[in-house]
Amino acid sequence: MIRKHVIHHLSAYLHGELTAPEATRVESHLHDCAKCRLAFEEIQFGSYLASSIPEETAPGLWWQEIQTAALAGKPDAAKGLSWFQVCTVIAGAAAVFAFSAFLMDHTPVSSTSSWEIASVRGTPRIGIARITETSRLRPGDTLQTNSNSEVELKIANIGQLDLDPNSRIRLLSTNSDQHRIALDRGKITARTWSPPRLFVVETPSVNAIDLGCIYTCEVQRDGSTMLHVILGLVALDFHGRETTIPAGAYCRTRPGDGMGSPYFEDASDRLKQALEVVDFGKDERDRARHLDVVLQESRARDTLTLWYLIPRLRGDLRGQVVDRMMALAPPPEGVSRAGVLSLDETMMNEWKSVLERVW
Amino acid sequence: MKLCAVTSDFSIDDRTIEACQRGDPEGFRLLFEIYKDRVYSIALYYFAGDEAAAHDITQQVFLKLMTHISKFESRSEFSTWLYRLVTNACHDRKRALRRFLSFDSAQAPEIPERRKSAEQRYLENERERSIRNAIAALKPKLRMAILLKHFEDLSYDEISVVLGCSKGTVASRLNRGHQILARKLAYLRDGWNPGV
Repeated sequence: MIRKHVIHHLSAYLHGELTAPEATRVESHLHDCAKCRLAFEEIQFGSYLASSIPEETAPGLWWQEIQTAALAGKPDAAKGLSWFQVCTVIAGAAAVFAFSAFLMDHTPVSSTSSWEIASVRGTPRIGIARITETSRLRPGDTLQTNSNSEVELKIANIGQLDLDPNSRIRLLSTNSDQHRIALDRGKITARTWSPPRLFVVETPSVNAIDLGCIYTCEVQRDGSTMLHVILGLVALDFHGRETTIPAGAYCRTRPGDGMGSPYFEDASDRLKQALEVVDFGKDERDRARHLDVVLQESRARDTLTLWYLIPRLRGDLRGQVVDRMMALAPPPEGVSRAGVLSLDETMMNEWKSVLERVW
Repeated sequence: MKLCAVTSDFSIDDRTIEACQRGDPEGFRLLFEIYKDRVYSIALYYFAGDEAAAHDITQQVFLKLMTHISKFESRSEFSTWLYRLVTNACHDRKRALRRFLSFDSAQAPEIPERRKSAEQRYLENERERSIRNAIAALKPKLRMAILLKHFEDLSYDEISVVLGCSKGTVASRLNRGHQILARKLAYLRDGWNPGV
């Protein structure tokens, strides 16, 4: 017997929003249909996650601010304006209008549906078609270069993207909210001049979120990714956990493992090699041995690397990292070793704000 | 104005509304105390933990509430209206910020912690951060439906009035939102028992 699936009713069923006959129908269908049962389990889990976030407390002191603002007439700003205020508003509006007109004349029109190819070398392709300098990249398109080709293209009107030889990207979406590509292989260089978080690169291991910057991102054969920030900041996101990479730093990522610890380009080669084992090694003794090298090779600036190692390591290893950091860049008053070892967030943040001056 | 105007489930009764409509400052203070955390929490989660944005939204909502409360005759109408105010304020701010800067800050701001061991707090914080980020990444329409359901425990009918859409649309947005969260955060599934 073929019966209509009930997937669209599952949240309502879970929350008791269906009528009794509807609920009975869903229940009976779930009994017989494995597909809908799986979907129901998924929705139950999603609902469980959403309901597990705690309510936050708004400071009671805000009441004073609200009263003050209310007395100042802020909620009804349009009413009771003085002539001076009216003139100011009109003058402001005129200035905004003039500036907008200027921008319309001087800003490239934002394309919400495709990206312009700026220059081409060799014979790169969109899908199976060879591209020319008049081609455009649309959502869903795959752009790839071979060993003899390179492409420069515009990221809508917020930046520029260079695609190195032997690279492949897919344009996933482009709109005023976000511009998103997948980098399947090869290397890109991105330059953006937009507000943060508008441009996102999905790689096989993490997402790179532009925070206003110039950076390169290279996906290697095994799916691991190397990010190098040249200017500004880039956030790497792995299932909601973010690491912010500053200018001059690299970060390696691996599928399934997420981000390694960031390190500066001028760190010693020994540090970089040992860090790879500390970040991704599976043998604890081997990791401990390589951690010794990382600690020996660390300079004050390398506290960037050590900082991100603290929560990744446990017990003695974490203690060794904290001790080395304390020797390289002592924490401010009020930040204790014990507090940092127990990952006291306030202390961690206080120390980080001091460390950022040397990063 | 006495606190007995508050009903046991921390909502308000008609007398509180009437007191506010007469301009009783204690009535407004009471409304603020009852709703401030809910308004703040919705805004905070809507803006991915951005405390400054949540502060502005909370202030804006209560200012508007003080000047427009005369329009309301019953508490049910009031609560629907309040959540609509929050929803509109969040959407408006997002639209305004979109032009100039992201509503997500470079590093997701921290939400204050509770009294637990630092280690446990760290792990819970990571989990909460993941959920918060996943909620913040939902499309605004899905995000607000999820927040109204799970923070305010509004019924589908109530959510449909707040969001100005049909009950079916609410069901569909929640369905989609739950599925996206479940898929994005599948790695948190260890130890979760669907029977619970």
